[in-house]
Amino acid sequence: MTLEKLLSYDWGIMAPEFTILIVATLLSLMDLFMPNKTSRKPLALLGIAGVIIAIVFSVLQIGTEPTSILFDTYRFDAFALAFKLLFLVATGLILLLAIDYEGEREWEFRGEFFYLLLTALLGAMMMASSADLITLFVGLELLSISSYILAGIRKNNLHSNEAAFKYVVNGGIATAITLFGMSYIYGLTGSTNLYEISEALTNPAVEQNAFLLVMAFVMLLVGLAFKIAAAPFHMWAPDVYQGSATPVTAFLSVVSKSAGFALILKMFLITFLSVQGWHNAIILELQPYIAVIAGVTMVVGNVVALRQRNIKRMFAYSSIAHAGYVLVPFVSLSLLVFKMTWFYLLAYLLMNIGAFAVIQFVTEKERSEDFTAFSGLYKRAPWVAVMMAVFILSLAGLPFTAGFIGKFGIFMSSLGTGHYVLASVMIATTVISYVYYFNILVQIFFRKGEVDRLLPSIGLLIVMIICGAGTIFFGIYPGAAYDFFQEFDMNELFIK
Amino acid sequence: MNPIIWLIPVLPLLSFVLLLLFGRRLKEASAVVGSLLTLGSLILSVVVFMGQWGGASVKQTAEWLAIGDTVLTVGYEINPLNALMLVIVSFVSFLIQVYSKGYMHDDDRFPVFFAYLGLFTFAMLGLVISPNLLQLYIFWELVGVGSFLLIGYYFYKSEAREAAKKAFIMTRIGDVGLFIGIILLFWQVGSFELDAIFDAVTAGDISQGWITLTAILIFVGAIGKSGQFPLHTWLPDAMEGPTPVSALIHAATMVAAGVYLVAAMFPLFEASEAALTTVAVVGGFTAIFAATIGLAQADIKRVLAYSTVSQLGYMMLALGSSGYVAGIFHLTTHAFFKALLFLAAGSVIHAVHTQNIHEMGGLWKKMKWTAPLFLIGAMAISGVPLLSGFFSKDEILAATYADGRFGLFWIAVIATFLTAFYMFRLFFLVFTGESQGKVKKVQESPGVMVFPMVVLGILAVIAGYINTPVTPILDDYLAQNPYLEIHHHESYWWIPIVATVVSLFGIFMAWLVYAKKKVKRLSEASPDFHFILLNKYFIDETYDYSFVKGTRGFSYFWYYIDRFVVEGVIQLVTGAVGWISKTSSKAHNGQVQLYGSVAFAGMAVLLLIVAWLGGYLT
Repeated sequence: MTLEKLLSYDWGIMAPEFTILIVATLLSLMDLFMPNKTSRKPLALLGIAGVIIAIVFSVLQIGTEPTSILFDTYRFDAFALAFKLLFLVATGLILLLAIDYEGEREWEFRGEFFYLLLTALLGAMMMASSADLITLFVGLELLSISSYILAGIRKNNLHSNEAAFKYVVNGGIATAITLFGMSYIYGLTGSTNLYEISEALTNPAVEQNAFLLVMAFVMLLVGLAFKIAAAPFHMWAPDVYQGSATPVTAFLSVVSKSAGFALILKMFLITFLSVQGWHNAIILELQPYIAVIAGVTMVVGNVVALRQRNIKRMFAYSSIAHAGYVLVPFVSLSLLVFKMTWFYLLAYLLMNIGAFAVIQFVTEKERSEDFTAFSGLYKRAPWVAVMMAVFILSLAGLPFTAGFIGKFGIFMSSLGTGHYVLASVMIATTVISYVYYFNILVQIFFRKGEVDRLLPSIGLLIVMIICGAGTIFFGIYPGAAYDFFQEFDMNELFIK
Repeated sequence: MNPIIWLIPVLPLLSFVLLLLFGRRLKEASAVVGSLLTLGSLILSVVVFMGQWGGASVKQTAEWLAIGDTVLTVGYEINPLNALMLVIVSFVSFLIQVYSKGYMHDDDRFPVFFAYLGLFTFAMLGLVISPNLLQLYIFWELVGVGSFLLIGYYFYKSEAREAAKKAFIMTRIGDVGLFIGIILLFWQVGSFELDAIFDAVTAGDISQGWITLTAILIFVGAIGKSGQFPLHTWLPDAMEGPTPVSALIHAATMVAAGVYLVAAMFPLFEASEAALTTVAVVGGFTAIFAATIGLAQADIKRVLAYSTVSQLGYMMLALGSSGYVAGIFHLTTHAFFKALLFLAAGSVIHAVHTQNIHEMGGLWKKMKWTAPLFLIGAMAISGVPLLSGFFSKDEILAATYADGRFGLFWIAVIATFLTAFYMFRLFFLVFTGESQGKVKKVQESPGVMVFPMVVLGILAVIAGYINTPVTPILDDYLAQNPYLEIHHHESYWWIPIVATVVSLFGIFMAWLVYAKKKVKRLSEASPDFHFILLNKYFIDETYDYSFVKGTRGFSYFWYYIDRFVVEGVIQLVTGAVGWISKTSSKAHNGQVQLYGSVAFAGMAVLLLIVAWLGGYLT
């Protein structure tokens, strides 16, 4: 590659990524040169500023023509942009949570937490933008490896060590399976570029070996199912979510999971559909497997959550269940897939990060992660209790919340395409989920607890207000989000 | 947009928001704020109601959300039926708020209570004016949330917490049916709008099978909300809430929402004979089933709760027998006399601090207002001639008979007897005889509590005259709905006579059994009761062996069926879920080896299935 060629690329499309990269580098350098006993919390503010600048760049990019650089391995299109915006907003909120996180001794003198969060974000953004198996994998690993360290960052905490260890081992298994699947695809099609793979699928030589291809994609699906914590590849999630620091748990359950979804959407839809349109034999063959995984995930997540007493563990299962819901639109193959998935992830981002803000607030004040820590919260911090009620009602999918609109859309799309069984499983497991969600509400409103008043710190308060307002706003006027999404032309994804 | 209409639900919402924000400062003035705003809704409702006489239906919608080609709307619709409901809901809600000012006096969370009442009234009014099923469903759920909050108002009592949870989850089971019904209708018609659905039904665009299926699913929602068998068990437990709440939600409004739903969707039900029969049979069975249970309860509010379940059964029976007007008529009169009974019961509980009727007695002289008002309510519900319940119950019996459902007709007649009996059992035990209570100094409730009861008492007497055979005002009014054919069945002269005799016999039996000490004294004073005196022993014995033991046995039989079979099935389902939950959470034992193995096993299974289904193995 000559320098001339390198300079000729339209690097502007990577402005948000560069912003994050530069800020992450700056933070690591500043951390290195700061005196040992100086609080690292201001670093988070710089991180937030970086995220905001990246969001501004991304918003300015709306409407730009699809472009690709670096020999078509890195691609800018509406799909990538829509998902990057989700990741950026979520990470910004999580950084706000992280400022107020009171970890163990000397926690505030540890700066790596903030820049690792940014490198993980960078990995997620790469996943949304890659058009090549190699860059996809690099993005995936950047996200994963940063997450392993984040999970174990409370190094004096046994649970945190355990979480990191389990995450590394399970993540390793997932990576191996993913790579193995990718190698088959490369072997069969002779290319790592998603669009070229899609073209190769019409090649008679490849068509003859369709069964190997199906196997390869099933393996790929399994590898990626780890990332989104779908059953039966979810077993690491409860231990890791429970052991990690709360902001990390929020990151894993929102950003990391959304990135997994972006990757699955991208990989499957581009390779199968960009050349052959919406009715491809292989994807129709894969559909039942996705449906089964979605069904099992909804059942396992919701049913096992019933017995959890540790609030973070309960939310881990709840998050597994939500992964099941988000998988449902995949079986209805139309452009609606993007709209439903994106909106659900937006709703999930708001309600889940909001709920984790409250969880962080309560578990820190009470020094307990048992769900009884929430008892009497309504007396002690009425507004926080009301916010939590909003998040829980949204997670449970009750009207006037974004969660309801999201679930409703997914439900309608699965009914509309005739997947009655999946729709019924979704309804039945949703009803089951009411039990554990309402148990928390009962603790908050109907149980007596301590009597002293609790006040959330400013960072947590901002997160709660943003998430609470968003959850209700998109619940009453979802048109705002849908209209915004109309700005992104998802057909761009299929144009090489 | 007509501000008169949309302000109706918005005013109580405003009350909810204001009281949440400023309740702590307003303290007991919250009641004034809440009541005045609800009064505003009432006045506007009356204006709207007046406009519906001879006026056309009004409908206004705005686009809310577009999914694909489907445009969802929000808005309001006013037709004769829901204009009437608006008046009933806002009127009862207003009276209850006035009453609560006295009843909830000295409660720590006084403003919160009124805020919840505002939220509930908002949801209920919003439900009533919804022009499409989706909006209706959303408010339907919100009504459930309001009810949950109010039942669990005394959250420091574990019974109240459990009852709130039970009510919410039980009604949710019905709601799932409703939701599926709505979605299937949408799938068939392509719209959530009520008039679009009715047009499709009238035009024959939906097959008979789909009409029946969706109508029954929608009825499942009504079963949950209106406490019909087998989803009724939450309603008696819901009596753990404050008594004004029981009067508002669990007697006059929310539980009537199920009946309203069937009435609002009546063109759909009417198109399917099977759906109508289902409604009639469930209603008729619930009517007699709940009445028998009512005989054996000792808690004054539980008797009234079972009575409500039974009366709602009557309404369903009427609707199922194509007695559209009869059902709505009974809904209206029932709202008044049952709210009256609950408020009077609340007044008694307020005075004697117990709910057990065996610890009451002799209150007639001590409660100069409550006692006669309770009597009026009891007479109205029993169907004593010329009171409101007489006319509406009569309509239901006539409709059932005219529809050719003779078996259900006689069940309804027997239930009439039982109704009269248990109501007067209550009356005699509470108000006559010797005082059994610990509280010796019983005081009448304050004026702010008596006033709403007096208003309801007057209505319990006169509300029946809106639809007598001579003055069919309600008939004509409801017949304005273009989608409905109101069946004018012939009137049967003998039905009112049978009903009257049966209900008076019920009262008489109750009197014999529960006030018989008074019989003795009266017999000495008055020769009119000579006949009774002569047969006293005989009737006592007969009663004891056939009636008391028989009905008590019968009553217990159903009670145990209720407790063990119905709850058993529910237990089984929850138990199964619990077992799966327990077993699979054991699998998450923290062993990384196991996690990896499960994942590999999962992948191997997937790949094997792929290979097998793809035929690659052979």
